[in-house]
Amino acid sequence: MKILGSAALAIGIACASAGMAAAQDCPVKLGAVLPVSGPMGQVGERIAATGLFAVELFNDAGGVKGCPVEYLLRDTQGQSTVGVDAAKALVDLDGVAALVGAISSGVSLPILTSVAVPSKVVQISCCSSSESFTELAKRGETDGFWFRTYATNRSQAAMGAYIAQQNAFKSVSVVYVNTDFGVGLAERFAEDAAKLGIEVTSMVAYNESQQSYRAEVTTALEGEPEALFLVAFPVDGATITREWLALGGTDNLIVNNSLRSSDYFEAVGSQYLQNLIGYDSAQPRLPSVDSFNELFEARFDGPPNGPGLHSVFDAVTVVLLAMEASDELTGEAIRENIRAVTDPAGIEVYPGIEGIERAKALLAEGKTIRYVGATGALQFDPYGDVQAPKMTWKLDGDTNVETGYLSTQEVAELISSLEE
Amino acid sequence: MILQHIADGILTGAIVSLGAIGLSFSMKILRFANFSHSELLTWGAYFALVLYILHRLVGEPLGGALGPFSFGLPIVGAAALSIVATAALAIALHRLVFARLERRAGAMTMVFASFGVALLLRNLVLLIFGPDPIYYNTALQFAIRLPGGVRVLPDQIFVLGVTIAVVIGLHLFLTRSRAGIAMRAVAENPDLAAVSGTDTGRVILWVWVIGAGGAALAGLFYGMTVQLRPELGFGLILPLFAAAILGGVGSLYGAVLGGLIVGLAENLAVMVIPTGYKPAIPFLLILAILYLRPQGIFGSTGERT
Amino acid sequence: MIGLLSYLVFFLILALVFGIAVLGLNLQWGFTGLFNAGVAGFMAIGGYTHAILTGPAREPVLGGFELPFAVGLLGAMATSGIGALLVGLATLRLRHEYLAVATFGIAVSIQLTFLNWAWLSGGVLGLIGLPNPAKTYLEGSLAQNLAYLAAVVLIAGAAYWAMQRLVGGPWGRTLRAIREDELAAASLGKNPVRIRLEAFVLGSMLMGLSGALYVGFIGYVGPLDYLPIVTFQIWTMLILGGSGNNKGAFLGAVVVWAIWTGSGFVISRLVPPELQAQSGAIQAVLIGLILVVTLLIRPRGLIGERLEVSRHARS
Repeated sequence: MKILGSAALAIGIACASAGMAAAQDCPVKLGAVLPVSGPMGQVGERIAATGLFAVELFNDAGGVKGCPVEYLLRDTQGQSTVGVDAAKALVDLDGVAALVGAISSGVSLPILTSVAVPSKVVQISCCSSSESFTELAKRGETDGFWFRTYATNRSQAAMGAYIAQQNAFKSVSVVYVNTDFGVGLAERFAEDAAKLGIEVTSMVAYNESQQSYRAEVTTALEGEPEALFLVAFPVDGATITREWLALGGTDNLIVNNSLRSSDYFEAVGSQYLQNLIGYDSAQPRLPSVDSFNELFEARFDGPPNGPGLHSVFDAVTVVLLAMEASDELTGEAIRENIRAVTDPAGIEVYPGIEGIERAKALLAEGKTIRYVGATGALQFDPYGDVQAPKMTWKLDGDTNVETGYLSTQEVAELISSLEE
Repeated sequence: MILQHIADGILTGAIVSLGAIGLSFSMKILRFANFSHSELLTWGAYFALVLYILHRLVGEPLGGALGPFSFGLPIVGAAALSIVATAALAIALHRLVFARLERRAGAMTMVFASFGVALLLRNLVLLIFGPDPIYYNTALQFAIRLPGGVRVLPDQIFVLGVTIAVVIGLHLFLTRSRAGIAMRAVAENPDLAAVSGTDTGRVILWVWVIGAGGAALAGLFYGMTVQLRPELGFGLILPLFAAAILGGVGSLYGAVLGGLIVGLAENLAVMVIPTGYKPAIPFLLILAILYLRPQGIFGSTGERT
Repeated sequence: MIGLLSYLVFFLILALVFGIAVLGLNLQWGFTGLFNAGVAGFMAIGGYTHAILTGPAREPVLGGFELPFAVGLLGAMATSGIGALLVGLATLRLRHEYLAVATFGIAVSIQLTFLNWAWLSGGVLGLIGLPNPAKTYLEGSLAQNLAYLAAVVLIAGAAYWAMQRLVGGPWGRTLRAIREDELAAASLGKNPVRIRLEAFVLGSMLMGLSGALYVGFIGYVGPLDYLPIVTFQIWTMLILGGSGNNKGAFLGAVVVWAIWTGSGFVISRLVPPELQAQSGAIQAVLIGLILVVTLLIRPRGLIGERLEVSRHARS
């Protein structure tokens, strides 16, 4: 009976809160489903905090339609069942108007198919890279509710090959994380490298969160490649890099965007990474758009180095702008207006309180805008994917510096040259 | 390159051996598969870290790294503290959870409880020390080249040496000391040992202490040669079980040999199978030995309990 | 109110689907005393079988059969049963603690196989676009989920009824006899290995069915769905609900899933986002504590087996 009693009580509380959620004025609720604990916890925690930061900035600029935005974060624990339930609770019990998340495609996909699409809620992810999303969208199964601010694997692989070519590496070994992200990227890279006449000496997949990667590293060392292309996340990436260097591997490292992270530099030791070359999505070449980095530094006492930070900031901001542009906070309206606030013909607006205030003013006048954010000028294709300009970077002492820039146009040309 | 894989296998296997000794005895004498044993490695590694941090706070009176190694004299204190603290933790777990459960619910419930204890221990580490990896010494140690082009880290040679020393020490303990002889007696035949006046309760405490001590050292060494993170032990569950079962539970040399075989198999297997399958290797070893020789390499034929 | 109803329907679907797996584990552990630490592996076999049989064609991955939903469920039970038969033949003669270790390893290996063998499973990408018949015939998310819930209730009810018949009958008595005293049962002419194998296979078939129902509902299957934590969750449901009691299996599934998800709900309300990483760890610590304390205070769970004095439930 005790159980029944407490269950009834719980339901009562839930009813009361659901009742409040149903009334659709203040505050406006934004749901976030992210892994803040579990294997991806280290990455997820920062992403969650940056998402909150984007919401705070928006609130400082007056919120959505004069309402403060409430950021409801639910932990997926890196588990799809928990993530699915959390997303459903956010939609049904809290009445969120849109979902941000998740990180792993293996969690984002079930949320999309079982919660976001059936409930007609926009889902926007900072980080899920799987090609399955594009495929689902092409099959018409996302109903357009899926977006991601993460530029697809295609351009990343091309950047890896581009760096290898620019540095005249003749042979490269690839060590990659055994997830949809790593596998997709590594396989594309191998094709691209072959096109450019670069020998791939070995392709070594590693499973996440292993204690030691000696066997993998020893395998990758075979054939003594001139460079290593490492596709990893900071924690495991640091382990692999340390073992690689300790066992005499070359310090010509090419690394993917997620390793542009102070966690990685500190764990390996910057002094060992002076020959590293990385790529990442770039900020567009506009003086006004250093703002994200500055805003971030002011808030977190450190530069925004880490996977997904730029893209989650844009994901949240785009969704909130789309809400501002919507007459009613329905999934359909937000879905349409995401395109209205990233319109290439629109007036450019930038991150930060002033930028958002300006965007809101323009939207109030009925104009379309083009949000140019932390990952550049976002433009979603019909399947919810974006392309972004790219940059290359390296470490100079402890600070990471930009060494090259490729505009969206140049990235597209690079890809098409590789696909001829 | 095969020589390199063999060297890697032996050197990583030595750590698995240290961790598996305790598991092997506890499977034999405590008669349950303790899935939380691997978390003792994690705790051992973090206990040692605490001493390192304290040592740094008082201005490193014992000095820094020595010679080619990544560590210096403080490692002796760190190891000692870690062994004592991990043993205390193990005894606390025994008193608070496992001993009570055995009286009330039987051995198999203990197995499940050990899953719960493992979750609890792992997340406590996460809570206290955070998810970021930690290094005892962030300076990178470079491998030295042995004849044949084999590259090894000085630290790993040291670990192998300590493992050999620990095994010799445990051998002497088991054959010369009263407690050790009692332990062997209980392992061989618990009923007979009890009838002939052996204090089984004391023996059980010794098993926990030895198991925790080995786990603490293994955790410290793993942390030293790779890094510390809350999942340190969790990833070693299957290798540890494989080593214990392979060697034959209750056998000191069995556990050592089992650990080396696991290390070698993991490192050699990646030459023929994709690395993505590597974590399944220990399991295949378990399956193979259970088919071919269920009592393990050094185990005596035991009855089904 | 619609929101709450919609969520409860969703919650119950997942909880009852897990409950079917708990029912299978209850047969293995509660009635037979077999420690299966590889529940997630059998759920994975069922889930992937269902996905391959019912899913659309996708080059170069196996599939494209587009068979009816029910065939997918039956196929899932068949393959997980065959898998359990192979595993059981190899391991059921072993001592209990070896069985635990071996099944744990099997689940890890099955998960790795689905993760790496792209032709079979879609590899890291998983399998997408799986049909859910409720979505084909009905409009509106709530109606679809209600229909699916009805199907799950029917299937769970049928499984419960079948289990009650089985364990209440002569076969069930033999099971318990073997669990309590194998030697005595063997001396009465019962073949303990064979009976244990039957229980193991039947239980694993229910786990496969559970995996298939989950995948059919979600419309996607991927390797991330079958980590060892799933096994732990199913076990917690059984222990809390009460092993040896089929009603307890479902009660445990609902209660544990409510605690697991409800604590996340409470945390999201009470804990500011910047502290949520710690609260995730606290949540896991609490779940571990609840479990250990339950085992110590109520080893038989909320409603455990009552009649027999068993060595699993000595007072």
